Amino acid sequence: MKLTNVKDYMVYVELADGAPVNASLEILTRVSRLAPKSGEQVTAVIIGQNVSEGAQTAIAAGADKVICVEKEISQLEEYVQILTAIGKKYQPRVFFFPATQMGKDLVPVLSYKFDTASITDVTDIVEKAEGFDYVCSSYNGNILNEISYEAGFPQIVSVKSSSFKKELDSSRTGEIISEDIPVDRSLIKTELKETVKEIAEAVNLEEAQVVVAGGRGMGSKENFELVKELADVCKGVVGATRPAIESEWISRAHQVGQSGKTVAPKLYIACGISGATQHISGMSGSGYIVAINKDEDAPIFDIADVGIVGDAVKVIPLLIEAIKKEKAQ
Amino acid sequence: MEILVCIKQVPDDSVEIFLNENTQKPDLEKVTPVVNAFDTYALEMAVRLKEAAGGEVTVLSVGDDSVKNSLKNCMAVGADHAYLCKLDDYNETDTFTIAQSLKESKEEIEKQTGKTFDIIFCGKESTDFASAQVGPVLAEMMDIPVITGIVDIEEKDGGVETRQETEEGYHVISCQGLCLVTVNKPKYDPRYPTIKSKMAARKKAIDELDTAKAGVTVLHTEKVYTPAKRSAGVKIQAESAEEAVAQAMDLMKKAKVF
Ligand SMILES: Cc1cc2nc3c(=O)[nH]c(=O)nc-3n(C[C@H](O)[C@H](O)[C@H](O)COP(=O)(O)OP(=O)(O)OC[C@H]3O[C@@H](n4cnc5c(N)ncnc54)[C@H](O)[C@@H]3O)c2cc1C
Repeated sequence: MKLTNVKDYMVYVELADGAPVNASLEILTRVSRLAPKSGEQVTAVIIGQNVSEGAQTAIAAGADKVICVEKEISQLEEYVQILTAIGKKYQPRVFFFPATQMGKDLVPVLSYKFDTASITDVTDIVEKAEGFDYVCSSYNGNILNEISYEAGFPQIVSVKSSSFKKELDSSRTGEIISEDIPVDRSLIKTELKETVKEIAEAVNLEEAQVVVAGGRGMGSKENFELVKELADVCKGVVGATRPAIESEWISRAHQVGQSGKTVAPKLYIACGISGATQHISGMSGSGYIVAINKDEDAPIFDIADVGIVGDAVKVIPLLIEAIKKEKAQ
Repeated sequence: MEILVCIKQVPDDSVEIFLNENTQKPDLEKVTPVVNAFDTYALEMAVRLKEAAGGEVTVLSVGDDSVKNSLKNCMAVGADHAYLCKLDDYNETDTFTIAQSLKESKEEIEKQTGKTFDIIFCGKESTDFASAQVGPVLAEMMDIPVITGIVDIEEKDGGVETRQETEEGYHVISCQGLCLVTVNKPKYDPRYPTIKSKMAARKKAIDELDTAKAGVTVLHTEKVYTPAKRSAGVKIQAESAEEAVAQAMDLMKKAKVF
């Protein structure tokens, strides 16, 4: 189905534990700055239960209108049905999604439904005389690609979290529209049998001001505790490389990198981390990078502001003491 | 169970790849082509499923002649048959062309062999462009369900039961009938070929298909460039850990990071 009469920007606001995910709010703030110039409006779409608070947050972040679909659903096919119906009815010029797991699943499916193409993990929007170009990366962030759409095709893109700054202004007002969209369960061919929550802690790596991350070089679960202690002292969040997670030193909610989170804290301390591209692509936007590695040729030193060549197990306890002293002053 | 695994050949992802400023293309000289990491996870999971449930694993790739080597490597780690859908410049082709070509190829393989596939595996994403689109689009084109980012699968009641990784844990999702799964990194690593399995794979044929089918061009690359690079700061190589920490603290205090 081709959309022929497109207008306005639509942003899918995903909820996690009832609250809008940051990536969606960041898009709303960014797009609300772009919209007035082109005479477009910004419409948020929220699907879930008790969405009114989320709708207010979406307005505060930049939405002019919020389409609320009060419905408890959990399967991809259900989201696809509802968002396809909304797309058909409102015909957005650009349909933005957060590049979460759900967003990245929805974007290609919807682009096929609407006879267009999609772009994954957009990190910047470039204003052009007519519309936008989108920037995304390839080869683990080593190459950036600026992509444009052929005229006449609706644009469906997912935006990586931390690409833009969210700003909430609770004095903003907006219109709330309720939509009741039925889901045809007979079209759903998979069955969600169980949802298991393994990771109890909320790990907010993306918003952390300080991230202290540990890698395989920490050597053991016991030694990895030092990384956690250092994070505590710095009031930071613990990050980790894939090998540290595969060794079960910490849960995968802490993974930083290509297949984990992208972070941009003010301070990033990398302990026993070699600096593989798959890791660096998730943290090279950090303000100040400190690396501790016993190998003086480790690639992490190429991007570190301060590199300490040494045994992390010896260095970290001393660093903890020094920072404690510094903070006490 | 008849299993189809779609694989992509990509430049070795353990090598850093940069833009060649002269050609405005990624500098891939001296980089060995390999099977996309997530596709190797998909193949390993498919082969384990075959070992548990019976049947055969067929691998399929859209690419140029060089991809035959990657397909041979797949046959050395458990794939029974391999097909190459010939398409030069496959790496500069859009998602829809690739998905459409895979769909046509699957149908052609079924016609040629008389078998019908019960499940299709793809990697979650490729390590070069990482757009994570081909699997979901292929499923949508075929009008079959997709289960993304799975880390485990087993045959159950004539269908499959999968474990899909989520941010907080996992979903158990089952499906009866043909479906497509995309695979994330499971707990295990893909097996290595043995000398014997490599020799056997070398003797097996790779069937070529001319089923590539171009889609409509919707996206254009306007510009390719290198992101601003961070420069290296100070590297401290002190006599003792105490000395190193003292120097590091001085620098960090000066930079006002606390
Ligand atoms: C498809 C794919 C996706 C991936 N996604 C991610 C991802 O999202 N995130 C990620 O992190 N990785 C990811 N990886 C893995 C990545 O390629 C690297 O293998 C990984 O980042 C390396 O982790 P590491 O630095 O902890 O381990 P290593 O590379 O083994 O480095 C350990 C370092 O510790 C140092 N060391 C050892 N002992 C000490 C000591 N006592 N004191 C100080 N230093 C010491 C060593 O010198 C070495 O530099 C991915 C890989 C693939 C194929």
